[in-house]
Amino acid sequence: MDHSKLKPYVMILPVVLLMGVFIYSLLNTLIQSFGILPAAGLNKWTLSYYQAVLSRGDLFPSLQLSLYYSLVSSILAVILGVLMSALAVSSGFTRKKLFQIFKVPIIVPHLVAALLILNLFSQSGIISRVLYQLNWVQSPQQFPSVLFDSHALGIILAYLWKEVPFVILMVVTIMEKIDGSIGEAAVNLGASKFKTFYSITLPLCLPTIYTSFLLVFAYSFGAFEIPFLLGMTSPKALPVLAYVEFTYPDLSHRPYAMALNGIMVVLSVMLTYIYYRIFKKGQKAKAGEDYQ
Amino acid sequence: MNKILSTVMLLLLILSGIGCSQAPTPAPSSAQNQSFESALAKAKGTTVNFYGWGGDERINQWIDTQLAPKIKENYDITLKRVPMDIDQILNKLLGEKQAGKSKGPMDMVWINGENFSTAMKSQLLYGPFTQELPNFKKYIDQNSKEVQYDFGYEIKGYEAPYGKAQFVLINDSAVTPETPKNAQELLAFAKKYKGKVTYPAPPDFTGSAFVRNIIYDIVGYDKIASIGNDKEKLKIALQPAMDYLKELSPYLWQEGITYPASIAQVDNMFADGELVMTVSYNSNSVAGMIGTGRFNNTSRSFIFDKGMIGNCNYLGIPAKASNREGALVVINAILSPDIQASKYDAKNWGDLPVLDNNKLNSQEKQLFSNIPLGKGVIPQDQLLQKRLPELSADLIPVIEEVWQSQIPGKK
Repeated sequence: MDHSKLKPYVMILPVVLLMGVFIYSLLNTLIQSFGILPAAGLNKWTLSYYQAVLSRGDLFPSLQLSLYYSLVSSILAVILGVLMSALAVSSGFTRKKLFQIFKVPIIVPHLVAALLILNLFSQSGIISRVLYQLNWVQSPQQFPSVLFDSHALGIILAYLWKEVPFVILMVVTIMEKIDGSIGEAAVNLGASKFKTFYSITLPLCLPTIYTSFLLVFAYSFGAFEIPFLLGMTSPKALPVLAYVEFTYPDLSHRPYAMALNGIMVVLSVMLTYIYYRIFKKGQKAKAGEDYQ
Repeated sequence: MNKILSTVMLLLLILSGIGCSQAPTPAPSSAQNQSFESALAKAKGTTVNFYGWGGDERINQWIDTQLAPKIKENYDITLKRVPMDIDQILNKLLGEKQAGKSKGPMDMVWINGENFSTAMKSQLLYGPFTQELPNFKKYIDQNSKEVQYDFGYEIKGYEAPYGKAQFVLINDSAVTPETPKNAQELLAFAKKYKGKVTYPAPPDFTGSAFVRNIIYDIVGYDKIASIGNDKEKLKIALQPAMDYLKELSPYLWQEGITYPASIAQVDNMFADGELVMTVSYNSNSVAGMIGTGRFNNTSRSFIFDKGMIGNCNYLGIPAKASNREGALVVINAILSPDIQASKYDAKNWGDLPVLDNNKLNSQEKQLFSNIPLGKGVIPQDQLLQKRLPELSADLIPVIEEVWQSQIPGKK
């Protein structure tokens, strides 16, 4: 028997297993959201959970809030990440060992990031204490409450701390490669540094920038711990709303949580589709096609 | 040799099977003490598997180093603690029942609330058994609501009380000399220390209990309890308490627009001095917090005059327990003043005793009064005098929904 034919299938097995677990739980979520949960005595297909969830008054404010902080934090993260990458590459800082320090926030869990922001920016946090020692504020109440506010500043700060390094990680390697080869050629032909960056490096990096935007956006839209710890009590972020429903003591209440998750899945798929449409156009229009 | 051994084992198994099939003629109720005597004899030299939540090292320590040796010494029973979360325990019991097994490995379970009602609805527990226990009859107040109802679900002798928790308010006497005695005084307190009082947002367990305690204080426990399970009537009845919370909110942390998501955050802010008050569903927690240095030495707990909410946790025996007699003996022992006092000692666990203080003789009372009271802790007899039962578990989410729709956010 020819083993080389089998080889690709064996090699793809771990991914298939991983996807299997993912797809299983996704299907389970969707099935439960349609009211099938035999353990709680629910056996009838119904849309009533979706109807109930869609008609509740706090769904729209929650959705708005989740979209708001994930969009703002992802856009800012991409802009800051690309700028910092460009600065690091052009100054040669990427070749220094110290540069690797930017990877630290990537390994730190989101939960810890939330606590870090809490410790820094709360009214009895480190910054407030330093200002108090400097006599700039007279009491914790004078320090502006950055966290738990309606602008979701705390949530955005925490996501930025996690996401900017991620964008750098994605972008900096490819930027360095371009800067070293085509970039130098452009400079040799008389282009200014800024011109090189704007007309050559940036367009070539765009596919990676789009991808990293999608990844950070999808994550922040669906993640629970940061808005749970740093968000307001009302409106609650969409994932927090789903969590609260999930922890409801009565098992027959579970489909409501799953219907909320179902709504998040649909929204994520829709946004990914829109992204792919833009991405395809972007790829054709830019120089990336030639380079690849 | 092996063959002989297996034949003997087989014979033993068959014999024990016969023994079993003859045993279950129920003992006549008049001879209950006699049946407990026979349980004592039968349980000698056996092992009791005690399944329950194992997430607190102090509790595990107490069971392993205090309870188990006492049981071994007095009854020659080996108590084996098996840590397992209650939902897994219920799933396991349910699985055994569905598989049609006649005996399971669990002899004793730690249970309460909606898990108890789930277990009862699926007939997973043995009982009624509490009337078989001499200590239950001797030391427990049979008329107490907590002995009759577990979160509103009728117990009917299917579980025996194990421990008690009670809600307390905590502040620091060096910062705030006042200890508000009711909701109105709490409002004045919040006005005086504007922006420095708050509570965790329900459905946080402790925050939800705080809101229920306010409802008890404003509306009255009896009025709320008399409504029964009618959710619409409950919503109307608790409105005065919601109006109070609305009146309170502008004086709270963040002007009451938002609330901390967890009790841990409230404790942290209290420790940092950002808040002047915190709350706890463990009446001993303040001593622990002072002990670890997180709270100041001058921190103390205080309670409302009308009483504070409390809950009870229980011990049950699975319907398919292999060592039912052993479990009966152990549960009876746990209801003794000696073991309840050891459990109450903050050095060990610091859990409130379940015995009726009026039924103890002076020597037995001494056992409890000899235990040094933790810093800032209210003595157990004062706490138990001001104790109000929990509402039915079905109603708690209703209260949480009403709170969520009326209290937080800009109004």
